[in-house]
Amino acid sequence: MRNNRLAKWLISGPPLLYLLLFFAIPSAIMAFAAFRFPGDYGGLLPLMDVNPDTGKTELLINAANFREFLTLENFARFFQEPVFFELFIKSFWYAGLTTVICLVLAYPLAWLIARSPKKHRDLLVLLVILPFWSNFLIRVYSWMIILGPQGYFARSINAVLGVIGVGPVQLLFSHFAVILVLVYVHLPFMVLPLYANLEKHDMNLLDAAQDLGANAWQRFWRITWPLSLPGVWAGAALVFIPALGMFAVPDLVGGTDGIMIGNLIKQQFLDSRDWPFGSVLSIMLTLAVLMLAGLATLIGRGGKRNAL
Amino acid sequence: MKKLLLGLLLTAGVAQADDVLHLYNWNNYIAPETVKRFEAECKCRVVQDYYGAMEEMLAKLAAGAKGYDVVVPTGFAIPPLVKQNLVQPLDKAKLPNAKNANAAFLNSAYDKGNQYSLPYSFTTTLVGYNDARLKEAGVDPTSWSVIFDPKVLARIKGKVTVLDDSREVFAAALMYNGFSANSVKPEELKKAAATIKAAKPFWAAFNSQSYIKELTLGNIWVAHGYSSDMFQAAQDAKAAKRPFNVNYTLQKEGNTLSVDNMVILKSAPRPDLAVKFVNFMLDGKNAAELTNMVGTGNPNSAAAPFVKPEIKKISAVFPDAEAIKKLQQLNALEGKQLRDLNRLWTEVKTSK
Repeated sequence: MRNNRLAKWLISGPPLLYLLLFFAIPSAIMAFAAFRFPGDYGGLLPLMDVNPDTGKTELLINAANFREFLTLENFARFFQEPVFFELFIKSFWYAGLTTVICLVLAYPLAWLIARSPKKHRDLLVLLVILPFWSNFLIRVYSWMIILGPQGYFARSINAVLGVIGVGPVQLLFSHFAVILVLVYVHLPFMVLPLYANLEKHDMNLLDAAQDLGANAWQRFWRITWPLSLPGVWAGAALVFIPALGMFAVPDLVGGTDGIMIGNLIKQQFLDSRDWPFGSVLSIMLTLAVLMLAGLATLIGRGGKRNAL
Repeated sequence: MKKLLLGLLLTAGVAQADDVLHLYNWNNYIAPETVKRFEAECKCRVVQDYYGAMEEMLAKLAAGAKGYDVVVPTGFAIPPLVKQNLVQPLDKAKLPNAKNANAAFLNSAYDKGNQYSLPYSFTTTLVGYNDARLKEAGVDPTSWSVIFDPKVLARIKGKVTVLDDSREVFAAALMYNGFSANSVKPEELKKAAATIKAAKPFWAAFNSQSYIKELTLGNIWVAHGYSSDMFQAAQDAKAAKRPFNVNYTLQKEGNTLSVDNMVILKSAPRPDLAVKFVNFMLDGKNAAELTNMVGTGNPNSAAAPFVKPEIKKISAVFPDAEAIKKLQQLNALEGKQLRDLNRLWTEVKTSK
């Protein structure tokens, strides 16, 4: 009995410790930072300092002057200026669009891999993860070359557009480039969970459905799709959440108005050295994602109740 | 035998790991050949890390980044480093080559008496352009209107990049409006922000890292950037036998001058190697290599005889007396001034 409990702690301890150290504590620090003022050179306005007379470290903040050290101004700024809210909407739109495109592209691919002869499957899965062997930035830079106006891809597209009388389009440094590269980067994260799910489906179900007169669309929509939903949700989460916080892709291939919320957060911490406002943006993003996840769970539950 | 070999490998690795100089520098700001010669001379390895803007470097060091020995900040970034107690005073006795530094670049407002810094090289921030394309479009690159005037930009839409750097972009917009590059007057900054916002829809991107490549490929026709980078782009375009030239010029409204200086960090793991490096780079021949290979201006008197004469003629690299009058160095900004500028920058970056 006691051994059993020890084993439980041994197994769950390291991940718990990891989450505490690298998620819970930093989140708490960030939440606190959101109520403070930025320091002159970055960081935060210190709450304690060395007293030059006594040489001792003293707390600067007290009951009378706490307004000089703690503020709601950072949150007020977020709600006062509509641009930040608009940037949130835009980032959710980008991430959502990326997720949907990834799903549409990955589903048939994962289905094909799952239905191919067993001896080929490992090789096909390997091919899906092959791009990970080269560095993320190098892959994005390759897209910059492909999409650049002097590249063959862009020149061919513009030649075709020219024939039908449409002016040349700018591919690099555009919204299109951001979505394209986001999809490219995240596609394997959608394929793998879908494949893991589709591979386990019992083919007898489909045979039975066919015997009972279901056509191909009915077999897919009433058997394969509902059974694959856990894979779809897993893939969607693996694509949506990293895509939402992405800053490197918009930085490299996006235009002057291609930035996402991740760029703004990075800008506050790096260029502007305004940690408090960066913290506010991060907290708001976390809250928005949590709300979305909660909503999805609610809808999921509602769906199940209806089904019963 | 195998164990012995393994042991030797391990100790070799350790010996090498011991003698490493960590240099935190602007990207494209030292020739690989120069680094190799320093490595041979000091029998150590140089590990480089790069930044694309002063704000980026300051943010990283202010956040507590450690492990760097030598950093090469622009003048206005030195007071914040000194006030945060991040840099150590230079021991001139160990730097015999300090005497080579050109007096015009010493004793500047940002480091009186050069207690902490010695000049490395200087650049101007200007416009680099594709001469064939601009001629076709009838655009004049000698005025900042080339990146700020919507009427001019309409002809080169989507072919312009500006630095992803709040200080430099605002300095250019302030000068375009006839104000000082260092203005902190709210109404002047507001006007500059309006100029930037009006021009932004015509720009392809904010870009501090890859405009050399984009100019060289012909993807971008106008880039706001540093003279040394434009020098590089011009050379690359020539080497690649492009059907156009990459050219660069100072703007008539004025440009910023960045004097970059070497400082040794207080947290330097190897201050001994750092001193060696600073002294090495102050040697006339080595300093000249910065100009000859990277295309920087040279604040080193002993370098003059080694600098290629054709480079000395380029006014964007070596501004003559007339041009120097129009160059402005950026001041250090503090507290509220910096916060106000950053707010405007966020406003500009998020505007549509």
